[in-house]
Amino acid sequence: MSVRVAIDIGGTFTDATLIDESSGAVSIAKVLSTPADPSEGFMRALERALVEGGVEARATNFVVHATTVATNAIIEGRIARSGFVTTDGFRDLLEIARQVRPSLYDTRFEKPPPLVPRDRAVVVRERLGPDGGVLVPLEDDSVRAAAAVLREQEVESVAVCLLHAYVNAGHEQRVGAILAEELPGVPISLSSEVAPEFREYLRASTTVINAVIRPIVGRYLERLESRLEEAGVRGKLLVMQSSGGIFSSEAAARRPVFMVESGPAAGVIASAHLGTTVGRRDVLSFDMGGTTAKVGLIQDGRPTVTKDYTVGGHAGAGVGGMSLSGYPVRTPVVDLVEIGAGGGSIAWVDSGGLLRVGPQSAGADPGPVCYGRGGEQPTVTDANVVLGRLNPAYFLGGELELDVEGARRAIEERCAGPLGLTTTEAANGIVEIANAAMVNALHLISVQRGYDPRDFLLVAFGGAGPLHANALAREAQMPALLVPPSPGIFSATGLLTTDLKRDAATTLLRRLEELDPAEVDRGFRELEEAGAAELAGEGLAAGAISSLRQLDLRYVGQSYELTLDVPTPFDGAAAAELAGRFHAEHDRTYGFGAPGEPIELVSLRVTTLGTIAKPPPRRLPDAAGAPEPRSRRPVFFAEAGDYVDCPVHDRYGLGAGARFAGPAVVEEFDSTVVVHPGYAVSVDAAGNLLIEEEAT
Amino acid sequence: MAAVDPIAFEVIRNALVAATDEMVLALKRSAYSTNIKTRSDFSCAFFDAELRPVAQGFNQPVHLGSMVEQVPKAVLSYGPESLAPGDVLVTNDPYPSGVHLNDVSLISPVHAEGELVGYVANLAHHVDVGGGAPASIGAFREVFQEGVIIPPVKLVEGGVVVDDVFRLILAQIRSKHETGGDFRAQIAANATGVRRVQALVARHGRERLLATMEELLDYTERRTLAELARLPHGVYEAEGSVDNDGYTDEPVGLRVRVELGPDGVRFDTTGCAAQRRAPVNSTWAMTFSAAAYVLKCLVDPDLPVNDGFYRLVHLHAPAGTVTNCTWPAPVVGGWETQTRLVDVMFRALLPAFPERLPAGTKAMMCQAGFGSLDVAAGSYICFYDTFAGGYGGRDGLDGPDAVQAHGQNTENAPVEETELNYPVRIERLALVEDSDGAGRFRGGLGLRKDYVFDLHTTFTVLADRDRSGPWGVLGGRAGRRAEYVLVRDGAETRLGSKCTLELVPGDVISVRTCGGGGYGPPEERDPERVLRDVLEGKVSAERAHDVYRVAFAGHKVDRAATGALREAG
Repeated sequence: MSVRVAIDIGGTFTDATLIDESSGAVSIAKVLSTPADPSEGFMRALERALVEGGVEARATNFVVHATTVATNAIIEGRIARSGFVTTDGFRDLLEIARQVRPSLYDTRFEKPPPLVPRDRAVVVRERLGPDGGVLVPLEDDSVRAAAAVLREQEVESVAVCLLHAYVNAGHEQRVGAILAEELPGVPISLSSEVAPEFREYLRASTTVINAVIRPIVGRYLERLESRLEEAGVRGKLLVMQSSGGIFSSEAAARRPVFMVESGPAAGVIASAHLGTTVGRRDVLSFDMGGTTAKVGLIQDGRPTVTKDYTVGGHAGAGVGGMSLSGYPVRTPVVDLVEIGAGGGSIAWVDSGGLLRVGPQSAGADPGPVCYGRGGEQPTVTDANVVLGRLNPAYFLGGELELDVEGARRAIEERCAGPLGLTTTEAANGIVEIANAAMVNALHLISVQRGYDPRDFLLVAFGGAGPLHANALAREAQMPALLVPPSPGIFSATGLLTTDLKRDAATTLLRRLEELDPAEVDRGFRELEEAGAAELAGEGLAAGAISSLRQLDLRYVGQSYELTLDVPTPFDGAAAAELAGRFHAEHDRTYGFGAPGEPIELVSLRVTTLGTIAKPPPRRLPDAAGAPEPRSRRPVFFAEAGDYVDCPVHDRYGLGAGARFAGPAVVEEFDSTVVVHPGYAVSVDAAGNLLIEEEAT
Repeated sequence: MAAVDPIAFEVIRNALVAATDEMVLALKRSAYSTNIKTRSDFSCAFFDAELRPVAQGFNQPVHLGSMVEQVPKAVLSYGPESLAPGDVLVTNDPYPSGVHLNDVSLISPVHAEGELVGYVANLAHHVDVGGGAPASIGAFREVFQEGVIIPPVKLVEGGVVVDDVFRLILAQIRSKHETGGDFRAQIAANATGVRRVQALVARHGRERLLATMEELLDYTERRTLAELARLPHGVYEAEGSVDNDGYTDEPVGLRVRVELGPDGVRFDTTGCAAQRRAPVNSTWAMTFSAAAYVLKCLVDPDLPVNDGFYRLVHLHAPAGTVTNCTWPAPVVGGWETQTRLVDVMFRALLPAFPERLPAGTKAMMCQAGFGSLDVAAGSYICFYDTFAGGYGGRDGLDGPDAVQAHGQNTENAPVEETELNYPVRIERLALVEDSDGAGRFRGGLGLRKDYVFDLHTTFTVLADRDRSGPWGVLGGRAGRRAEYVLVRDGAETRLGSKCTLELVPGDVISVRTCGGGGYGPPEERDPERVLRDVLEGKVSAERAHDVYRVAFAGHKVDRAATGALREAG
């Protein structure tokens, strides 16, 4: 028997999910996180999950890990003392950054301080042109002089970003080699390896982030590996990347900037996998927890990935990926729209007499009023309690009894009273406002990018996701949604269903009409061979390795590229189709195409995947006839205009094939599913609830 | 809140802002020029059927305040009854109420269920709109020399581009390919906005949407009034100036009176210099946006910006002055005056808000543009950039180095993107050491950017601050003034702050912007902060000694010697 284990370290809890590779049986464990040394919580969760599953440590085939250690290091300023090496004349790249203020009307704003201060920023004599040609040859002596300054400064890590190194890495490689000689043992991060993309500040920022977290992440992963070994775990340690693939702990230690958004990606990957198993490859994932809600888009089984991302900033200064605060990162990140609407979001009435929800959150402590832990401000969770959607006696399986009266009183006093509404109207309003914010987020990730949400399946998870998902689907006119079993830990299962992934790209600027298909095909093959070699080095059989080829194209003069999948081999026929496909894709994305305008190729992308066998899905016993509700209670539905006497089902009592109609509530340990009138539920063999609009 | 459901209200309010945000994304992602796609020199807004601003997609505050003037006047002068679904108006006419010619607005009516619901609009700074110099900036005598003047006309009719108009406009413009792409992106942004607002009508119903928008404006007014009630009421005045106008060396005097009252804020620019036949004239719309910006900085940042807010901003700007110029005065450099006005307004209000407001800032747009003609290829490539400078020191906070100020928040053009797409090399991008206005909290450092040209090029700088740097406050010193330098055959020549010149291959233009003003006496600055600045090379050891009066022993502050220096005064 062999098992695989996923460990997800969050701010409050560390979750372990263990899955039996042959039966698909799942065991879970939840322990408090140990921020001082996260590896402690990691091991505690692992050991508890092994006990739960009744297996020995040596039965572990591999351990997949998602962690915020990289992001936290930046946010909390626990970063390595690093140096920055760049082209002569550009020492202040990091100081100047994008020359903008992070907020428009705040006269007391501050620019994010550079992660490498000016006294550790040094220059070398060299210069490349935009075509990669050498304008000034690299002077080795200037590199040695720079190294002397960095040695004097006792740096633990170095980032190198030379102008135009995205098109010609030669000078950076030479600088790296000299620095390795001069600064033995100090890790060197080259921009041409970390993020070979044009626009120097974005590339430099990405490389610097890689450098400043590299020693911390490296030590952390080493510690984990030695602890795993002590505990008798022989399987490999793998780490979730921001892009949704996993990589080995060795690769993670070298390129930690690829894992800054390791945690949130898991839920999207899990949704993609779930969608595929039920035959739906176009999915919107909806994850709602205590403080935020996140939506992601999966097209044809693949999560959309973006490179517009900032770490250590705050939302609100820009829209979409245009945040002006924090430090930009140009490595692939699963595209998520995240908003400050969670169960703990506080409802309040502002000075203009308007009901607002968030962005302040009651968090886990004191939490919503109904938790009875001293919270005084009403939250979304309190509104759900008042509306009868949450069972006060069965929250977290009955571990926490909810204070319904407290919730009602808080909403009455702080919202309903000032607005002249009934308590029910106010509670419903709080939920509707939170829902509307989430629908806007859904819109941003779908309609804004040219997708119609009605063509997608909504997959809902997180502790609060299934409470709100049906209302969202209704508002966005999505005909169906799916709620997996144990929605509270669904994200972690994503860690167990993902594949090894390596993203690589190379810049090749060519007008489409001058494109030589053979040259492109050769470029792809080089990237593929490097990717396959890396994955083979991690023990994958050749048959398990596959790759995806993509091209980034744009109209000549534009700067944002659109990415198209292309076939293997890339031949004249494939090249001939490109222009037509690009015009169509541009029209889909932006609402206009410009046939007749010249198009250029910008880069080649190859994603190499190492497929890992997926455990079989759990199989539920068949339902014995129509399901009997466990109880009934009044639940408020706005479309009915009142409380409705509503059946309440115990999810663990539902067998495969069971069917029932809304309105209904389904309760389980870590989540509650609300089914609206006009929708019908069917339970599939794996225990997923499929909720569909009833034909009218 | 009688007639409007408070729940639907909050839902619709957020959806309207989301609609303008989606316009912003559509424009940025599909535009061609670095100025729009990378530097975000554009803004988007939604107006109701009565042309009152309801929601704005935040980018450049200068635009937001001025669109409020420009869009309604453009639609009214064209005639709203002449606009049908699928039509798009284009305009950049400064008179009677626009801004400079580079800022071109596209305005689309939104119809739903056969009725007019409102208008979406976006304004974007085009790199070139023709006129006397590439990038359409320079010192001219009349607006006619500044570029193509487009009164409100239909660029799109019933969803189809009006080719005659489009070709007529493009014929006046140097960088046709890039500008054509930017126009298409602007059209797409409006189409996005129209669709989103129509979807809102379908979802909520026209009546409810209109009632909610009406209430949104009143709600904003109520909240703004609640904020005004808390402000220190009174009259505040200050003076300042723009260095010169590009033709004469006579400073352009500015005088501002701000009256904070419980029922509104009155900005009065009586006493500002008469308008010049030179590029320093701000239109009424530009000046209004300065006033709106200042008030917005003083109130709760959560406050929405729409007509309910703007109604409480009262501006008296006498016609014929540099704050409300009349036809056909040139306006291209009006933003230099406009940003300086904000600095002067802050200077007036500083006694009332000493914890919130900064010492003098860069307070100029600081623009440069150039163009190179490739006769063989039949193309004319134009480029435009603006440069950051030092921000002023604040109570408890140094002024940030190299950052945009006030209504301007455009990003820099990346070096690599510039070199890849435009015929120029950039030799240096750096902070200007020792340019800080010394203070207990020092001003930020200025910025230096050096361009090298390998082709014959026409280059324009349209800026200011090379006579005097931003003022210090409460005992702080002024920031170092800016310098605009031509390096030819190794020899440096100081250029004026508003000039156009012909470059030959090998020439270098070096722009060195001003530092921000200091806040409080420099000899009260924490010596450890001075040490940090010296170690980082931002402040020299000499200035640390002479101005900040700090002495060092190796890499440490010499407390005793510092005490003695400061004692000696």
